[in-house]
Amino acid sequence: MVSGGVSRKNDMTITADSFKTGFLPTWCPGCGDFGIWMSLKDALAKLTIGPDDGLLVYGIGCHGNMYDWMNIYGCAGLHGRTLPIAQGAKLANHKLPVIVVSGDGDCLGEGGNHFMHAAKRNPDLTVIIHDNQVYGLTTGQASPTAKQGFKTKSTPEGVEDEPVNPLALAITSGATFVARGFAGDIPGLTQLIIQAISHKGFAVLDVLQPCATFDKVHTYGWYRQRLYKLEAENYAPDHKLRAIERAMEWGDRIPTGIFYKEERSTSEDREPALAGGVLVHSQSDEMCIDELLKEFI
Amino acid sequence: MKNSVTWKIGGEAGFGIISAGTMFARTYTRAGYHALVTNEYPSLIRGGHNLVTVRIATEKIEALNRDVHVLVALNRESVDFHKSELQEGSVIIYDPKDYEWNISDFSPSTVLLPVPFSKMVQELKGEPVMRNTVALGASMAVFGGPFEGLAKVIEDQFANKGNAVIDHNVAIARAGYEYVGKNFSGNQSCFLSPVVKREDQLLLNASEAVGLGAVRAGLKFAAIYPMTPINALISFLADHAGKLGIVYKQPEDEIAGIMMAIGASLAGVRSMVATSGGGFALMVEGLSFAGMIEVPLVIDLGMRVGPATGMPTWTEQAELQFAIHAGHGEFPRIVLAPSDAAEAYEQTIDAFNLADRYQVPVFVLTDKYINESQWCAPVSLFKKPVVIDRGKLARGDDLPADGSYRRYSLDTQDGVSLRSTPGMKNGHYYANSYEHDETGHVTEKAANRVAIVEKRLKKMIAMKADIQPPSVYGDVDGEITFVSWGSCKGPVLEAMKLLKQKKKSVRVVHFSWIYPFPVEETKRILTMKSRMIIVEQNVTGQLASLIREHTGIEITEKLLKYDGRPWYPEELVEKTI
Repeated sequence: MVSGGVSRKNDMTITADSFKTGFLPTWCPGCGDFGIWMSLKDALAKLTIGPDDGLLVYGIGCHGNMYDWMNIYGCAGLHGRTLPIAQGAKLANHKLPVIVVSGDGDCLGEGGNHFMHAAKRNPDLTVIIHDNQVYGLTTGQASPTAKQGFKTKSTPEGVEDEPVNPLALAITSGATFVARGFAGDIPGLTQLIIQAISHKGFAVLDVLQPCATFDKVHTYGWYRQRLYKLEAENYAPDHKLRAIERAMEWGDRIPTGIFYKEERSTSEDREPALAGGVLVHSQSDEMCIDELLKEFI
Repeated sequence: MKNSVTWKIGGEAGFGIISAGTMFARTYTRAGYHALVTNEYPSLIRGGHNLVTVRIATEKIEALNRDVHVLVALNRESVDFHKSELQEGSVIIYDPKDYEWNISDFSPSTVLLPVPFSKMVQELKGEPVMRNTVALGASMAVFGGPFEGLAKVIEDQFANKGNAVIDHNVAIARAGYEYVGKNFSGNQSCFLSPVVKREDQLLLNASEAVGLGAVRAGLKFAAIYPMTPINALISFLADHAGKLGIVYKQPEDEIAGIMMAIGASLAGVRSMVATSGGGFALMVEGLSFAGMIEVPLVIDLGMRVGPATGMPTWTEQAELQFAIHAGHGEFPRIVLAPSDAAEAYEQTIDAFNLADRYQVPVFVLTDKYINESQWCAPVSLFKKPVVIDRGKLARGDDLPADGSYRRYSLDTQDGVSLRSTPGMKNGHYYANSYEHDETGHVTEKAANRVAIVEKRLKKMIAMKADIQPPSVYGDVDGEITFVSWGSCKGPVLEAMKLLKQKKKSVRVVHFSWIYPFPVEETKRILTMKSRMIIVEQNVTGQLASLIREHTGIEITEKLLKYDGRPWYPEELVEKTI
């Protein structure tokens, strides 16, 4: 794999430890972010994407603090703005693996419009949504995915609005890889992250994660009682309507795995300027515009 | 014979007024004349009154004046609306089918030149929209212009539509030309003096000039949400992107636009955004982010009448203080303000170099007047060699293998540190919107906060090496000093010429480099010996405030215009005397 023009063929020593920074996580004990973090490191190591080989774009929220203990090119953006930053970086260097680490508030609240439009363009990006229904960093308000009845600091009588369904939204907006993982299943989540990153196109991975501090309802146990794997039911992720049907399933049974997958040209594929190579490598000196000037004479 | 003539064409949107203006002006710029084309139109797609004004001159002109030599009216309203601007001897070309005008309808006395546009188009089996072509031919005859020049412009305009379309249009233009020749041959009052052509000239608006400058500077990525008055830049980039190896992306909103441009710049390519005040209001958080993570970014901020949606298709200069102060927190930036298309081209190239040199956002502060007016500029300007300075951008093989690279190294004289881009070996770091240490890691330690803030702000001092002093024109010891910025330059320079004819000695001090403010240079130039008059297109005198803030010099005499229309030089003269 070549990224950013740097060959890593000789570097076979990438492990989860390659991403150590010397800073320790500040997440609460029991936070689902730990499982996502460990799965992501394993997935990157297995894909041999080392600290100099890829770009992680983080949003703002508990998830976003991951950059401090993740030794790889990183951009800790503004709240909600991960996807446009990632799309700009990807267009500038489309051989570079670009992975977005976002949250339910970041990606679906503040960044909701960007999410919809990224999906319709289908850039070759992976977005991992840390989905815990709650704003942890601001000490426990409802997030866009909070289910009805959920009592939080901003909804003391319980959430009244319909929750956003990240999977159904991704499918209808045009994402070409839509999956759900669980922070309590590190091997399973690692595999999903590998598949998401390997998919050429906009890959949305919604990860259910308990918030150990502000959510006493959706615990690891609560999820484990309800989760099932789509692949165990011979589900084929190739049909949009069936995928939406599964995405709407929530209650006694909650599906995980790949809901929908298709091959479609990416935003980078459709840019004539990228046909000749990577934009950042074609950043040469002065351009000759003599031909162009004739249009104005 | 005249050295300067002004031609106006009015009608409804959809009548082909804008293209008629361009074709008329191009006929003359190709022949060696100078031209300036402006337009006025409401924020509508069809209907409403549109007007294009073209001034043609034998010498360089900086602005329109109040002359009206010919008014072409493609409907009755065009005469109604512009009757009051007509002068002794103005020629009105109109279709008697629209309205039978009488000489007694006008004062001072004008020359009526009825031309049956509709009937002629019908006879030649043309579409109603081709009335503008009859008008072009007719106008050419009134100015004693070269019909063959117009025919060639028509040929180029319709080059991709085939010979039949070209011949048809030329025939219709010729009919207009010959009609005037036959019915109006005695009047040569508007004939233009001949000129000698020196070199090819471009006819372009400032948005296109920004585009040319950006391309020349190596622009690779632009994300621009549509907004008046920068849409011509979008068309320019979208039309040429593939061929020039540029990615132009239409984002979902201006927030996404600036974030995409920041992402592309972070990844190592030259990138830009363009917008107007309302769109820039959305970009403000992104500006602050760019300041924090120290990425180069060029912002073309095309001002129009605000606040809010304001008068979208009219001009104003009310975003000077906004550009300087936008963004939460304190961080360095540069603000440039071109006065016309030629300067927009040059300053855009400068902007990219400055953005890279200091790793900061750089504004090119344009406005509706320069972005949608067409200016002529010699082709040699655009062929001059261009220097590309990417500043402290790592090559990729120059980063230490021992992991000691510090993206935000404090060990820097000018506040600028070596910048790696994702994918470079040994270069990984965190572009962090949180306050951070030299590696990009978050920190809230007091000593670190102070050190990194001071590192960023050191750039403001280093930038002094690049600051351009205001330009000075006219009499150094002028009794009157006009102080202006951006697009007021043209009207002010023309006003200076008129005042000179009235035996007034005038000096113009013009700011194209706005911020960091050229403090010492301004203090030296703006001495109190002469009567100082600030000329701006806003209601509060924003440059005057800036000058006072930085130098203590208070300019009390202010000529401020905020009706959405650019200054006429005559207006400035009247208000000065």
